Amino acid sequence: MSSDNHIIIVGGGPAGSATALAARREGAEVTIVDRKTHVGIPVQCGEAIGKTGPGIAEIEIPEESIRVPIRGFRVYSPALISVDFAEKEPSGYIIDRRVFDKELLARAAESGSDVLLGAKVIDLTRTKGLVDGVVVRHNGARKKIKAKVVIGADGVNSEIARLTGLRRSFKPADIDSCFGYEMVNCDLEFPDLMEFLLGSNLCPRGYIWIFPKGEGRANVGIGIGGGFGVYTAQQYLDNFLKNNEIAKRQLARAKIVECRVGALPVCGPNEQNVVDGALLVGDAAGHVHPITGGGMGYAMVCGSIAGQVAAQCVAKGDVSAARLQEYETRWRKRYGDEFAQSLKLRDLLIETEDETLDKLAKIVTGDSVVKLAAARKIKIFAKAVATRDRKLITLMRELRKLKMV
Amino acid sequence: MSPSGKTSNKLAKVNGEICGICQACATVCPKNAIDVFEHYIVILPDKCNGCGTCTKVCPVEAIELVER
Ligand SMILES: Cc1cc2nc3c(=O)[nH]c(=O)nc-3n(C[C@H](O)[C@H](O)[C@H](O)COP(=O)(O)OP(=O)(O)OC[C@H]3O[C@@H](n4cnc5c(N)ncnc54)[C@H](O)[C@@H]3O)c2cc1C
Ligand code: SF4
Ligand code: SF4
Repeated sequence: MSSDNHIIIVGGGPAGSATALAARREGAEVTIVDRKTHVGIPVQCGEAIGKTGPGIAEIEIPEESIRVPIRGFRVYSPALISVDFAEKEPSGYIIDRRVFDKELLARAAESGSDVLLGAKVIDLTRTKGLVDGVVVRHNGARKKIKAKVVIGADGVNSEIARLTGLRRSFKPADIDSCFGYEMVNCDLEFPDLMEFLLGSNLCPRGYIWIFPKGEGRANVGIGIGGGFGVYTAQQYLDNFLKNNEIAKRQLARAKIVECRVGALPVCGPNEQNVVDGALLVGDAAGHVHPITGGGMGYAMVCGSIAGQVAAQCVAKGDVSAARLQEYETRWRKRYGDEFAQSLKLRDLLIETEDETLDKLAKIVTGDSVVKLAAARKIKIFAKAVATRDRKLITLMRELRKLKMV
Repeated sequence: MSPSGKTSNKLAKVNGEICGICQACATVCPKNAIDVFEHYIVILPDKCNGCGTCTKVCPVEAIELVER
């Protein structure tokens, strides 16, 4: 393809497919290039996606990928005191990413995007400093593909981030090292709630998740801060399954039918995601919530913005960083504060002792915390203040900023 | 420094039977010495300096340092 409105999207995950759809809507020629021959496989995900929240309502979650509706979540403090964040109506879904990623890619292709699978991008081409194409390795041969804009939607280990200099390597603490099982024969107490467990010995700088998938099935996984643990993520998860009360109650009969590994960028977005002729989106840009580790929704909303802006810049014949910056400005307007505040809370949580988390859980436990009446919120905060525990009060303040309590 | 310009005589080695290709190791490698493909990963011995950062993030103990 050599047309003068051609956009190359590196990566056919949720970010890439959403970007492609938006760029096609603006009339650009699009090629999605992925080094895999089967996108979405192996599954490296907890498979939870919200359907509310800024921008999320605009994205389409393929119906055929939905496994169960979810009303919210329950968090267990280290001493297993539970706090619920649940609504009456479903606020999200557990999906099947095998179906999800493939269906999104199929829709991108049906909208007119070309898809080149089994092609690994190994370099960028440039003219006078402006990125104007990629070099791929495909079927054992090197090949150049020209484009007006190159979009790096190539995930946590983004080659485009390295090649553009927008991000070099992560520090271990910047990522979560993840491990998970898909299990059957689970006796879940709340089949429409996600469960999270915290604890410095259970899962250092991270959490354990149990996500229901319907019919006694569940994704059970763990993410631990890179370099934080003395064991591997798998060892921490196996220890949980064997020894933790919550696991014993719900997963004693469960059988493992799939093992999953994964890496999550949890250090917040890159400082900059745009250069002359190229931009980054999704995990490549660090569009992942630093606490929940959720990334699919952000990847797709930011992808929609990226595709639209890139196509418009191509149509106007100016793909300089200055013009593409509109993308950076627009996604930051939506999520910039949320990411920054969550990162602050995350850092605070690292320094929070298990006892403080238990104290906090004791104060908040009871009715679901979502949409609490103002009077109850004030009462909860007053209780926190009455403890005179500085750390607890600071934590409560940050949670309030994020409108969590 | 050894004659090959390496700071250590160690080299990362991946156990392909355990590795699930999560890419955690590759994202933290300061030398960009880990190449990720669809079904396997490759350590590039010319680039690897034996620092061991990759071994700190593997969820399954699939990567370790060995003597060169
Ligand atoms: C264990 C785990 C659990 C998670 N749980 C959740 C969850 O419950 N909910 C949620 O919302 N998010 C979750 N996430 C995060 C979510 O998986 C990611 O944020 C999301 O997949 C990001 O989408 P993406 O399109 O940016 O990247 P990816 O889905 O990683 O897609 C990137 C694509 O780029 C391709 N690629 C990479 N390099 C190249 C190259 N050089 N050339 C060509 N192609 C290339 C890859 O093959 C891949 O197909 C989880 C992540 C992990 C690791
Ligand atoms: S030992 Fe260091 S240089 Fe070698 S692969 Fe691991 S992180 Fe990279
Ligand atoms: S971190 Fe471990 S499992 Fe993940 S790709 Fe590297 S060697 Fe494989």
